[in-house]
Amino acid sequence: MRKVAQVALPLAIVAALFVLWDIAIRVFDIPSYVVPTPRAVATTLKDDWSVLQPAMLTTIKEFVLGFAVGVAFGFGLAVLMAHSRVVNRGLYPLLIASQAVPVIAIAAALTIWLGFGLTPKIVIVALIVFFPVVVNVLDGLTNVDTDLVNLARAMGAKPFRIFVHMRLPATLTPLFSALKLAATFAVTGAVLGEWVASITPGLGTYLLEQNSRLNTAGVYAAILLLSAIGIAGFLAIAGIERLATPWRTRSTPRRLLPRRLSHDSRPVTTAEEGGP
Amino acid sequence: MPCMKLQVEEVSQVFGSTAALAPTSLAVAEGEFISIVGPSGCGKSTLFNVVSGLIRPTTGRVLIDGIHVTGETGHVGYMLQKDLLLPWRTVTENIVLGAALHGRVRRRDRDEARALATRYGLAEFVDHFPHALSGGMRQRVALMRTLAFHKDLMLLDEPFGALDSQTRLRMQQWLLQVWGDLHRTIVFITHDVDEAIFLSDRVAVMSARPGSVREVFTIDLPRPRGFELLTSDVFTEIKRRVLELLYTETIQALASEPDVVGSGA
Repeated sequence: MRKVAQVALPLAIVAALFVLWDIAIRVFDIPSYVVPTPRAVATTLKDDWSVLQPAMLTTIKEFVLGFAVGVAFGFGLAVLMAHSRVVNRGLYPLLIASQAVPVIAIAAALTIWLGFGLTPKIVIVALIVFFPVVVNVLDGLTNVDTDLVNLARAMGAKPFRIFVHMRLPATLTPLFSALKLAATFAVTGAVLGEWVASITPGLGTYLLEQNSRLNTAGVYAAILLLSAIGIAGFLAIAGIERLATPWRTRSTPRRLLPRRLSHDSRPVTTAEEGGP
Repeated sequence: MPCMKLQVEEVSQVFGSTAALAPTSLAVAEGEFISIVGPSGCGKSTLFNVVSGLIRPTTGRVLIDGIHVTGETGHVGYMLQKDLLLPWRTVTENIVLGAALHGRVRRRDRDEARALATRYGLAEFVDHFPHALSGGMRQRVALMRTLAFHKDLMLLDEPFGALDSQTRLRMQQWLLQVWGDLHRTIVFITHDVDEAIFLSDRVAVMSARPGSVREVFTIDLPRPRGFELLTSDVFTEIKRRVLELLYTETIQALASEPDVVGSGA
């Protein structure tokens, strides 16, 4: 019952907003080139679907690839920085500088270096995503309880094992916080990349085009789809988070196979045996 | 003298310009249960860090089973007031942590962990994450993790310090049972004189900082020991002697504190 309410409540609020939107247009008599009616947007979505669909796929591709590159790069950088104080001191200012420079300015430069294809968009998305990942993962890696590390050392553990068993798992919670933030930012990166220049039209390109034609319904249709991508990304990550960090929501791990009997003779492979 | 389990010989520790531990010697026999009490900051935990090999002492040496192990880790089981269970590992996986940190966890390690948990009343919880357990249960798991590390010498640093007094009494009984079952040598740090006397064969009282072992009391009370012992005359007499010495040391510790008034919370 509670689960139903969890889904139903936000949906009801969204529906209510659409109704309010519709009423506001009628009451204040807003012209359709300023704000279209929800119905007009829905019609555009339907009629223009043959253009919108491939555009959306392109944007999703930029989003997903850029996201993956950003996370991988951010994670790697965090591990490197956690490992060496020199690297940490040297790179942190650069890291902050990379975020201080307006992404739109970098976007223009990137087009010159990387052309008009998919690559510059991926780089822009990655650039936006990697920052929260580095910062949060670095926190997770370095904030491990000293007593815990000492316990492992007292047991004679080598630094690599301490890293694998204590530091790495400790990054999961902050990592997912970063990813949820990043999922919503990343769409902005993809749109920015498309705005600067593009021969691979995505939703951002579509939005600009409709805007120049004063087709407000088209602009809103693109906005809706872009939001949908961001929300889907967020939900996907929240879902993965639940699976990847079961100890936060459950009292026992999920079992893919039925619990083994105590007398079966086959070894059961678990994470640390199959791990790196 | 038969070969001692643990010999601490003239170990001292200086951090920068602060002497944390004055030259200290202590010998612990195989299978013995010895407690260390002393005023706060007297260097009890520093002594443990030296024995466990986490820090190398400024002077002196540590021998386990007659073998020189000064500054070497991996020779003792170690347990703190914090349970330090890994939240992402189940009870079983936490107990086998020692094996995991040494490369691989074998089936036999897990079976042993489950057997330990079952034997000591956590059978239903072997597959639970630590957050589903109470404080006392978590501390029991922490002790099982120490047991499963298979070191005859175990250092317990105020393991029950964070538990409520009822749980604490139960845990003390349980520890004595485990100790009786598994024939380990235990060095136990505590603030609680009752706890020290109740559990131990001997109680070492340390002096104020920089600490060293001031006196060792032999607790000649029959085992198994029950709660009624805590209120017996013999017990009270030993407690009086230990407290007297401890109190003198604590007064000294407070007197040497530079600014007691100003540092109040």
